[in-house]
Amino acid sequence: MLVIQQLVNGLMLGGVYVMVAVAFTLIIGMLNFLNFTIPALFMFAAVLMYATMMGHLPFGNDLILSIFGTEYRWVAGIIVALVVIALVSLVIERFTYRYMKAKYGDATEHALPLVSSLGFLIIFEHLVVSTWGSDPLTATSPFGQGTFSIDTIIFSVPQIVSLVLSLIVVVMLSVMLKATKLGRALRAIAERPDTAILMGVEVGRIVPVVYVITGLLCAVSGILFTINYATVDAYVGDTVATVAIAGMVLGGLGNVWGAIIGGLFIGMLEVMSIYIVGADFAKLPIWGLLLVLLVFKPTGLFGHTLIGKGKF
Amino acid sequence: MTEHLLEIAGMHKSFGGLKVIDDVSFKVRRSSRTALIGPNGAGKTTIFNLLTGVYSIDAGTITVDGQDITQVPPQDRVTVGMSRSFQNIRLMPHLSTVENVMLGQHARARKLGDLLFPLGMLPRNRWRQAAEEALENAGVGTYPGEVVSNLPYGVQKRIEVVRAMVSDPKLLLLDEPAAGLNKTETNQLQELLERVSGQGVTILVVEHDMQFVRDLCDYIVVLNFGRKIFEGTPDEVHKDPAVLEAYLGTDDNMAEAENAS
Amino acid sequence: MSGYLESQLIILCLSIVYAYGIFLPAASGQLNLGAAGFITLGAYASAWFNASTGAELPIWLSIPLAMIFTGIIAFAISFPILRTRGVYMVLATFAFAEVVSGVAINLEFVGGAAGFPVDDHADVTVIVPVTIAVILFSFYFMSTRLGLSLRSIHDDESVATLFGVNVRTSKVVAFTVGAMLMSLGGSLYGHHYNYIEAQTFNVLLSIYILLYVLMGGTQTAWGPLIGATFFAIVPEALREIAESAGLKWLAEGRFILFGVFIVLLMVFRPEGVMTRTLQDRLGGGLFRRKKPVADDMTGGS
Repeated sequence: MLVIQQLVNGLMLGGVYVMVAVAFTLIIGMLNFLNFTIPALFMFAAVLMYATMMGHLPFGNDLILSIFGTEYRWVAGIIVALVVIALVSLVIERFTYRYMKAKYGDATEHALPLVSSLGFLIIFEHLVVSTWGSDPLTATSPFGQGTFSIDTIIFSVPQIVSLVLSLIVVVMLSVMLKATKLGRALRAIAERPDTAILMGVEVGRIVPVVYVITGLLCAVSGILFTINYATVDAYVGDTVATVAIAGMVLGGLGNVWGAIIGGLFIGMLEVMSIYIVGADFAKLPIWGLLLVLLVFKPTGLFGHTLIGKGKF
Repeated sequence: MTEHLLEIAGMHKSFGGLKVIDDVSFKVRRSSRTALIGPNGAGKTTIFNLLTGVYSIDAGTITVDGQDITQVPPQDRVTVGMSRSFQNIRLMPHLSTVENVMLGQHARARKLGDLLFPLGMLPRNRWRQAAEEALENAGVGTYPGEVVSNLPYGVQKRIEVVRAMVSDPKLLLLDEPAAGLNKTETNQLQELLERVSGQGVTILVVEHDMQFVRDLCDYIVVLNFGRKIFEGTPDEVHKDPAVLEAYLGTDDNMAEAENAS
Repeated sequence: MSGYLESQLIILCLSIVYAYGIFLPAASGQLNLGAAGFITLGAYASAWFNASTGAELPIWLSIPLAMIFTGIIAFAISFPILRTRGVYMVLATFAFAEVVSGVAINLEFVGGAAGFPVDDHADVTVIVPVTIAVILFSFYFMSTRLGLSLRSIHDDESVATLFGVNVRTSKVVAFTVGAMLMSLGGSLYGHHYNYIEAQTFNVLLSIYILLYVLMGGTQTAWGPLIGATFFAIVPEALREIAESAGLKWLAEGRFILFGVFIVLLMVFRPEGVMTRTLQDRLGGGLFRRKKPVADDMTGGS
């Protein structure tokens, strides 16, 4: 029974990783770079959610309180986090994509947006530290403990909600990629950016959309994180990102469904290996597997990619 | 010593289902100046890429100086005595002129001692002097320390030829060396190549500028759609009906060709 | 020298040594996000060779042995890792560092998760000369024909191949020698602070070292020196200035400015602070002697 309980916990944890992994995979598949603003946005959304709920925003706390009241401040938190992250994503797009012009097809060309995104990671982490401090910030969950149990296995309601929500968001995303005009344009850019431009795809207008989509994925994930675990800090993105990257690699770079399965799998693997071999030993099997996978089967476990070609 | 420096026999290459080189065979006489011509897409640059090992060939053999090099890996082909320039300039943009030329010397400096020799720290060393001399001889000696991406097109084009020459090749492969050059520059290039040829180096050149080809070369191979349709002297090439039809095409082009000659 | 300045100098020196370790492969266009892994290897190996519970060798033997040990491991993994490119290489080296850290935490004979005390002490009189030697070595290395090959591979791998450069061997050498330098940095760290734990050498360290190198510029051997010096000194200097001027917000938020600087640098100087062209303009170009004298050679352009 304890094993099943661990599996359930792993699945819940995986639910948090899934959306972040999908965000990573979308940017890699489309734009060919490892975007470290993703953990920053995840963390920033989580902290904004906390600050709005607890009335710790630098300004506007009273306004929010007068509109939403203490009861529904979590709704305001969601709105604030989503709006801020969407706007911030547009700024990030300019500095990691639009203004980037590498000369001569430099071999380290793909490093430029990577470095910029690391710059943003530093900015956001220190923005949060200098505003809210570096100690863990604890929120009170609007939903209380909210658990129920089947037999002896305990399920937490917020965790189930977040898992289901993650899956819904991601399913919508992959349907969008397959079936809509925007999705086709996105896949066209991922396959051949230059040809896509020639075929009339407006890359300049589509790429910001990609950033906003990935930003919102991170934001939703960060919001759910705060609701679930109630404790956030400036560095919470780093840990989540490491694991989400692992999930993405497992599923294959650019493969949305792969990222989902990879994220869930890594979540379970983490919980299970902590349970079986202890926390210190836990990351060894995960990263060993990934290293082997990256070197010998870089397309990941599921081979075919939904967007991008796993180029390079 | 074989009479022919380069022998290509039964060369085939396909990309996907597309036959790019279809049973091409020809020989390049030692110390000759041979031109490889043909309309766009005839497979000229592909032949260069097959010769230098950028692509592997599907069937056939390549023999240089009596040695079958078909299976020799690309980084060793230059030591067989063959080097090339490129259709689009492919100098190393972040290297200076003299460094680019010293890269050309690499084939002669693959021993450990040579690899660990501090070229850049000793201002006067033989590699560097040789490179500067080669630049001087080619008339581009004024820019040894300049980063090449800052230099004018015509100069870069000639530096490419110099870089190819300093590996001491027996066979120099030049892919459209005169493209984009003005009249003066083309003449300077021709002079340079004649001098190189005078030292016994065999030249195989892909070129669209027919005037340049006629002035420089003593032998011409014509390709069309991946097949060889003619080989002979520059005088004969004019009279060959297959070449006229395939290469020059319609009457308009013919008139243009007449004007050019 | 005051204790404070000395501690800053040590941090600067270690940063420089690490940065050169990442720079050598980066000069040929290989991005290595696994610095922490090689530093961990060096720190633990040297500590164990030196420890009374280990091989009990003197420090002047334990450090070179640790470098050789790291070199062998780096050489072995360089073949599979160099099969990967671009983002895949970034991820593979990152995964490697995580594996090393995972192993170190689980090896009880080097202290496991509790960390490992290091016996012999290396003070500033050791670290500064070693750092200078590393800098000189790196300048020498980049000035050789091998260095020229690496820079050529960075610009155009296939053309380098056609001129006879053995691309794979060159990359393997750069990767391995780089790993040995990071190992050296790691052992110096251990011997200076006399205590190591794997958690110190985390992904953030790898990220910062890669940043030093890319910000400094990968085209010349000046790059990592400038990048590491800048990174180690500027935030500290900003803190000093801000505190003495009573600007509390600046002291706390100096890293925000720093992040902004990184982002802007990538827009305006994507090839790093020190580029080949800038080096020439400053007159430091080792290859430069003559200036262009005649314009008539340029022809029509």
